[in-house]
Amino acid sequence: MKGVSELRLNQPLPGTPRWIISGAFLGLLGIMLISGMTALQDLTEMHRGEQEARHEFLIRTQALSGLWVSIQIYGETVQHYVAASDAARDAEIRAALERLKNDIATEFERYPAESNQQELTALHNIETLFVRQCELVDGMLGWPADERRRRAALVIDREIEPIQMEILQRSDQLRLANDQALHEADQALLAQFSLLQGNLTRSIVLALGSGLVLILASLVYILRLESQTRTRYNELVRSRGELERLSARLVDAQETERRNISRELHDEVGQTLGALLVDFGRLSATAPPELRDQVEHMKSVAERSVKAVRNLALLLRPSMLDDLGLAAALEWQGREVSRNSQMEVDVQSETVSDDLPDEVKVAVYRLVQEALNNAVRHSGARNAKVCVEQAGDRIRVVVTDDGHGFNPDRMRGMGILGMEERVKRLGGSLAIESKPGQGTTLTAELPAHQLQETGA
Amino acid sequence: MKTIQVLLADDHNLIRAGLRLVVAQQPDFVVAGEAENGRQAVALAEQLKPDVVVMDIKMPDLNGIEACQQIREALPDTQVVMLSMHSDEAYVLRALKAGARAYLLKDSAEADLARAIRAAAEGKSFFSPAVGKVLLEDYMRKLQRTGAEDSYELLSPREREILQLVAEGKSSKEIANLLNLSVYTVETHRAKLMEKLSLRNVPELILYAVRKGIIV
Repeated sequence: MKGVSELRLNQPLPGTPRWIISGAFLGLLGIMLISGMTALQDLTEMHRGEQEARHEFLIRTQALSGLWVSIQIYGETVQHYVAASDAARDAEIRAALERLKNDIATEFERYPAESNQQELTALHNIETLFVRQCELVDGMLGWPADERRRRAALVIDREIEPIQMEILQRSDQLRLANDQALHEADQALLAQFSLLQGNLTRSIVLALGSGLVLILASLVYILRLESQTRTRYNELVRSRGELERLSARLVDAQETERRNISRELHDEVGQTLGALLVDFGRLSATAPPELRDQVEHMKSVAERSVKAVRNLALLLRPSMLDDLGLAAALEWQGREVSRNSQMEVDVQSETVSDDLPDEVKVAVYRLVQEALNNAVRHSGARNAKVCVEQAGDRIRVVVTDDGHGFNPDRMRGMGILGMEERVKRLGGSLAIESKPGQGTTLTAELPAHQLQETGA
Repeated sequence: MKTIQVLLADDHNLIRAGLRLVVAQQPDFVVAGEAENGRQAVALAEQLKPDVVVMDIKMPDLNGIEACQQIREALPDTQVVMLSMHSDEAYVLRALKAGARAYLLKDSAEADLARAIRAAAEGKSFFSPAVGKVLLEDYMRKLQRTGAEDSYELLSPREREILQLVAEGKSSKEIANLLNLSVYTVETHRAKLMEKLSLRNVPELILYAVRKGIIV
């Protein structure tokens, strides 16, 4: 009884950890997704930046080298001009110089304007120097041929050459600055990359860490669920066992109680009434005639009571089991049913021994009683046959009737459950075969000498 | 006048008292002793050697049927009148097999007890009228429902005569004397009638006779 009350099936499963774990899994996925996307974005950005830097560097280097080459050519052209004595080619050289000057001017303009201040200043300085050089050259161009022959070499040597040199120097500086810019851009990219690396490492560590925590938490949760399930299963098994024992005890208790009440009825009430009957009998024989009718009436009332009590006692505890043994009791039962119903019962029980344990006798008797009662009450059978055979240590009980049958899978009243309980308790089996319209056959097999049960 | 020694065996004082009164009313009856269970009944019977033991079927320690069997084995001259609440043939047959001469229903014990004791003392059978009635009803109902024919019709007049005499408790020799036949002829008739009626032994034969109202 205590086991049943201990059963805690209504205790709810813990619901909160489930949501927490689901949320954590989602969070982890989110972290991985976001960090992955950020890293991808950063990489794209870096790649673009690098491309840009390289492109810029290339453009500047090209512009610078173009400028440098043009200025060089200009210088050479001036020297050439100075060296040339042929006046006829003067105009041609002048035009070339003018063209070169214009080219250089456009190249100056073409030089990327977004450069930093230092670069701009350097560029400006070069431009200024070139403008001075051009002014000098322009001055020289205005000279007559003899003066040119005289002074030009000197001017070139003393003034134009140094300017030229300085231009070269400055442009070299500019190139260095350009290199420096590229290097800086590289440095910046490198810094960005290491930042990205740091970020990625952090998110990987974070994801791994939280994943680990999550796995541990899930593991703990699963283990807890598992142990709870096991506990519950064990409880269920135990309570089922207890239920079985309980119902077995119930059958026992019912039988004991019935026996007690039956004995009480028979021994006390029945015998008292019986004695009363004897007294009435004597009284009616000796009573004066005017009282005889009254005594007879009293006697008949007492007789009815005796019958009622006897039937009740018999129903509760078939005393013929004790008086006659199982076989005769079954035959008695069959005739009793035949007497009181429209069904004729044929009993065959010759092979049953008389020294069966009380429990087995009672079980077989009750089984047959219940089966015959069912047949009378529900089946409308005209004939029933009870066959009880004992072969060695097995007893086989077969009760058949020719009633209208039923569907045993759907209809299982308390009576059948009670029969099953009894048979199972003794380690036997019960089968009921019936189809609507085809009668019913109940077959039970029991051990004739059941092993002494331990405990309980 | 020869007195009949009676031993009363019933586990209930009230019933015993009632029986004692009935027995005491008969001038030629003497209550030799009283027992309140089967074992005591057997012991007292062996000690007192009464003519008749009036015995309740249902008794503690050793029930009436077992006690009857033991008494009849030990004292062939002591007859037993069985008292029972049941008129079913299972009980009657068991009582007869155990060697009881008379079978009384407790309901009507006081009316028939004297006659039953007297019949038993003379070695005759006696049954409560209600028993015969119940047995007959069972028999007729079974015939009716199963459609079997009444095997009594198959018996010859001589066989019916012998059936009654056997049922009344007479031996083959007594019957032979009574009917002026040889013992062998009586035995032959007896075997034949038992075969016709599908009876296996004398108790079943007596039961049959009671059922058919041949003896009371």
